[in-house]
Amino acid sequence: MTKDRAASLLFLLTGFYGFFFSVQLPMGRWNEPGPGVFPITLSILLLLSGAAWFIRGKRGAEEKTEGEKAGWRAIVRNFSTPMKIVGLTALLILAFNRLGYLVGASLYLFALLFWVSRYRLIFSIGIAVVIGIGSWYFFAKVLAVQLPTGLLSF
Amino acid sequence: MDVFGNLASGFQTALSLQNIYLCFIGCLWGTMVGVLPGIGPLAGITLLIPATFGLDATGAIIMLAGIYYGAMYGGSTTSILMNVPGESASVVTCLDGYQMTLKGRGGAALFIAAWGSWIGGTLSIVGLMVLAPTLANFAMKFGPPEMFSVLLVAFILLGSLGSGSFFRTMPMVFLGLLIGTIGMDPLTGSLRFTHNVPDLYDGIGLLPVAMGAMGIGEILIATEESLLRAIHKVKFRELLPTRRELGDSWAPIFRGSAIGFVIGLLPGSAHILSSFVSYMAEKRLAKRPEEFGSGRIEGVAGPETANNAASGSAMIPFLSLGIPTGPAPAVMMIALLIHGISPGPLFISKHPDVFWGLIASMYIGNVMLIVLNLPLVGIFVSLLRIPFRILFPAILLICLVGTYSVNTSTFELGVLLSFGVLGYFIRKIKYDMAPLILAVIIGPTMELSLRQSLMRSDGSFSIFWESSITMTLIAVSILLLAWNVYRGLRPKASWEKALEEGK
Repeated sequence: MTKDRAASLLFLLTGFYGFFFSVQLPMGRWNEPGPGVFPITLSILLLLSGAAWFIRGKRGAEEKTEGEKAGWRAIVRNFSTPMKIVGLTALLILAFNRLGYLVGASLYLFALLFWVSRYRLIFSIGIAVVIGIGSWYFFAKVLAVQLPTGLLSF
Repeated sequence: MDVFGNLASGFQTALSLQNIYLCFIGCLWGTMVGVLPGIGPLAGITLLIPATFGLDATGAIIMLAGIYYGAMYGGSTTSILMNVPGESASVVTCLDGYQMTLKGRGGAALFIAAWGSWIGGTLSIVGLMVLAPTLANFAMKFGPPEMFSVLLVAFILLGSLGSGSFFRTMPMVFLGLLIGTIGMDPLTGSLRFTHNVPDLYDGIGLLPVAMGAMGIGEILIATEESLLRAIHKVKFRELLPTRRELGDSWAPIFRGSAIGFVIGLLPGSAHILSSFVSYMAEKRLAKRPEEFGSGRIEGVAGPETANNAASGSAMIPFLSLGIPTGPAPAVMMIALLIHGISPGPLFISKHPDVFWGLIASMYIGNVMLIVLNLPLVGIFVSLLRIPFRILFPAILLICLVGTYSVNTSTFELGVLLSFGVLGYFIRKIKYDMAPLILAVIIGPTMELSLRQSLMRSDGSFSIFWESSITMTLIAVSILLLAWNVYRGLRPKASWEKALEEGK
């Protein structure tokens, strides 16, 4: 799959989504345009753009050399590190209020340093605790940002 | 009060101990993010937004603007010494800057880059100071039809000047405008795309969108690349350029200032485009253009001046019309909105202390930057020794706290992560995220202006032909659209291909 075709799928999907939910909104009249007019226009434009890029993506793939066809392979290459980061961040978000900032952030940093950055266990724990406590002090105490306390009472 | 009177009161504001300190922190952080590849000015600004919550609006914008123009200074350092652009606007500086380093003239290249940046930056502040109030006064006459027409031109220009082709940029604009419609319709109160999620009733938060798409997305991409490079050391005495180098760089510096200032007014990635245009202009004007790419001082002086001049003039439409022309001014606009200040035609008259304080701080900041970037260049370069493997977890954490701290909402953290993934995907397929961000921010105003115009004219589109302002703007939009369609259909010239590849 070429990069243009991947983009076209994004435009087509969002275009369909926008169109489906926009038609359910009141359209109003020309002298009083309703809330559905702007989104439905944009959805149609997205669908047209998506269709155009889908067709062009196919033509592009036919014209390109073997090396250039590797667009999709380039997208998934090195995908594992960003996926790990996204997964860990999603876990932190889900557990943020329950764990609290200090515990949650320290665990998150430890997981990133140990699992993603591949530092040694002791080093990862040390850095995670230092940055965790340091950032908590900076945000909660110096900048007075309201952070969840969670498991701890502070 | 005249310009000089206002500027004097601005200096009174900017020279308070707190504001000098904030300006310094902004410039220092800006230089650091400019030096570090993988963290651009946008990520730099968004990371420090939570630090502005306890400040007044003047202090906040002084610090954030310092990061923006500071990053332009810092970006040249790694381009010249390591052939790694610390910031996208400095890509073109690598061509001749690094060659000068290999010839032992890296210090002179750094000096000229900083000197040119200072001149370009200062001249653009003079332009900002004179033009912004004039433009704001003119924009007072704007009603909904004029505002819609201005935004229409802005979006078509964005398509023309964005880092991709027009047909690649416009779908991103449509997508951004569609995302901007999420939430309660301001005219009828109808809920759009909210799916009974109360957190979406007020629309998608602008900060998680910008921080996710640009900050998290940038980091996810950066984790794929190795950042270990060779660093060339420069001694202080090597910083002084020869008389010939100094003489050869005067004209490019002034041309770069003019080019950067004009391009900075246009929507899109102005600081990147301005450095490319300046480089091409210098190459065309050179007696021996074939020497470009092998260490010509003009190839450093022009582009580095231009990107700094562009960063100053990019503030004009944002402060006087409320229309950010790039992602970094857009994030600064979000920061001002968080502090309860709406940039636009009334901004300068309602908040003269903020505007003139910012202008004065920019003069001060430019002087600070030349001091920071020349004698202390070695310290900034040594920052590159901090492994990115340690830096990125800390940056991610700051992004998360920054977003959470605005509304103490974990839902917004979800939005942040989702847009981070979207930003990553968009970068992987070589599309530009900036038009989407701008469209999300400006979209609601555009929709409101269009609907109010049609309500005022009882449904007649002729309202867009009734005033000379709207008529001119609509005509410009049509011409630009036609030109873009023509440009998209004909084969590309070699310089256009080179520019796209460079971007």
